[in-house]
Amino acid sequence: MTIPKIIEIDSINKTYKNEGLETNVLKRVSISINEGDYISIVGPSGSGKSTLMTILGCLGQATSGSYILDGEEVSQLNDRQLSQIRNEKIGFVFQAFHLLPGVSAFDNVMVPLVYCDKTPLDAEERVKKALIRVGLEHRMDHTPGQLSGGEQQRVTIARSLINDPKIILADEPTGNLDSKNGAEIMSTFDHLNAEGRTIIIITHDPAVSKHARRILTLRDGQIVSDIINENFKESQASFTRTAIE
Amino acid sequence: MTLGVMIGIASLMVIVAIGEGTKSKVLNRIANMGFGPESFSVYSGAGRLFFGRNRNVTSMTLQDADDIRAMPGVFIVVPRQRKRMRIINKKEFTTTRVYGVSPEWQPARQWKIVDGEFFNDIDMDRKRKVIVLGNTPAYKLFGDKDPIGKKIRVGQVFFEVVGLLETKGLTESGYDPDDRALIPLTTSMSRLLRQTHLHSIKVVSTHSDLVKQTMDGVTQILRRNHGLSYLADDDFRFVTPEGIMQWVTESEQALNRMLLLISTVSLLVGGIVIMNILLVSIRERIREIGVRRCFGARRSDITQQFLFESVLVSLLGGAMGATLGGALSTALKNLDLLPAKITSDPFILAFGFSVIVGLVFGIHPARKAAFLSPDETIR
Repeated sequence: MTIPKIIEIDSINKTYKNEGLETNVLKRVSISINEGDYISIVGPSGSGKSTLMTILGCLGQATSGSYILDGEEVSQLNDRQLSQIRNEKIGFVFQAFHLLPGVSAFDNVMVPLVYCDKTPLDAEERVKKALIRVGLEHRMDHTPGQLSGGEQQRVTIARSLINDPKIILADEPTGNLDSKNGAEIMSTFDHLNAEGRTIIIITHDPAVSKHARRILTLRDGQIVSDIINENFKESQASFTRTAIE
Repeated sequence: MTLGVMIGIASLMVIVAIGEGTKSKVLNRIANMGFGPESFSVYSGAGRLFFGRNRNVTSMTLQDADDIRAMPGVFIVVPRQRKRMRIINKKEFTTTRVYGVSPEWQPARQWKIVDGEFFNDIDMDRKRKVIVLGNTPAYKLFGDKDPIGKKIRVGQVFFEVVGLLETKGLTESGYDPDDRALIPLTTSMSRLLRQTHLHSIKVVSTHSDLVKQTMDGVTQILRRNHGLSYLADDDFRFVTPEGIMQWVTESEQALNRMLLLISTVSLLVGGIVIMNILLVSIRERIREIGVRRCFGARRSDITQQFLFESVLVSLLGGAMGATLGGALSTALKNLDLLPAKITSDPFILAFGFSVIVGLVFGIHPARKAAFLSPDETIR
């Protein structure tokens, strides 16, 4: 039995033009990711991690190459279709949380549902469930300013899950958190992966990357290593343990 | 940022209020002048309406009035002399418009006498020194006392007060129709002004359809009587209800044009300010746009959001402007500075214009926000 591919990237290039100067950020990058996989992409800053993430998240298009997401060729899609994919198939988690300021946790989690083709009738129920799931049932009416960093990141996870996406795309999710909160967030990702969701985490923290089953290393816009983390279950457990201790 | 829209909308409201007020003022004024649609006046001297070019034209005489009276279709003819003079009762005095008129003045104007009676043909024939007072000079000279039978002095001549005109009250423009006194034309000619030429002749035709035709006839008679050559200009001018209407409308239009300019410029400036504020706020809210785009907002969703906000801001300014405009119009009306009439139309207009300003000046920033590339907004 073959596991279906959710992401297939074939020799993608990304070039930025800045005042006539061309910068090749990604050079012939090819990745294929199975559904339900747990990937971390590591690399020093400037290696093209973030650019790769924007392409994976359908926030920007590659200059050349093909990207098939869940059977659809993304480079052929227009803005409306890309928006729909982002809305339905991808959940984003950011380092800086990117919650709407001055808006309650409840309404922040509601955002993706507002942009559904049809806002579901049970939207409020779903938002409540998502917030209960990340343990914030007592913080629903709090604005981001009234929440701690760990709590804010949990709100963003609830937001990313609200539309039940196949892929969770996390950009340095623990970057702004202390180790205890970081461990909690990582264990949430572990649970989500155990449920069968594809998780892609971009990080430069080796402790975080060890949670993944597969670790990709990016350097100067190219993939320099692609290793399977044989004992990823153990490292997940030990990471959580050391953090709690 | 709402200030520009506010001023624009306020000026618009005032314009409409003044427009409405002017219309009712003109109608009011014409009614007060005793002009029915079948009557007109012909004034001595060339010029336009009440503004004679030359004050010393002496060509209009009683002969003209008699000739006009002989025309077919003419119902009443009132020859008039007029001068502003000081009238005195013992220690009280005032200055008023003194008219020398024929007794037909009263049926022509249909102005009621509340006390005493109007002078008649006998007074006219005998050049009696009798005077009918309007309410304003009567009140100034006699207060609440009955003036009938009292002697007052006009210039150097003593007159007996025989009648008191019904009070009409100030018009909205501040013109006081009650500020007048009437004496027999013959008395005026031989005893008071000591001149034979007329100031004007009022003509009432038998039917309003005949006015134009009658005016043409009057022109012919006057040109012939005054011995004007074919090439010479008229030395008289007509005052008609339409003429007055046109004149008042024109003079108010100049003011309206200015206010319209102010409101256009203000709305334009207000709109541009809204646009710039929105452009700045887009930079501040670039993260928010990015987040919304990440979670599925389409370009159209972002456009709608910013357009909605710009319309809201503009409507806020519009609401403030409508309040200010309403207050200004009311003040203008109550202080008697300008005629103003408050109707519901300008409020609808204010609402419409606010929405339009919001949409027109919101579309550029909204589109700009929507077309930001999502990967750049989220960094």
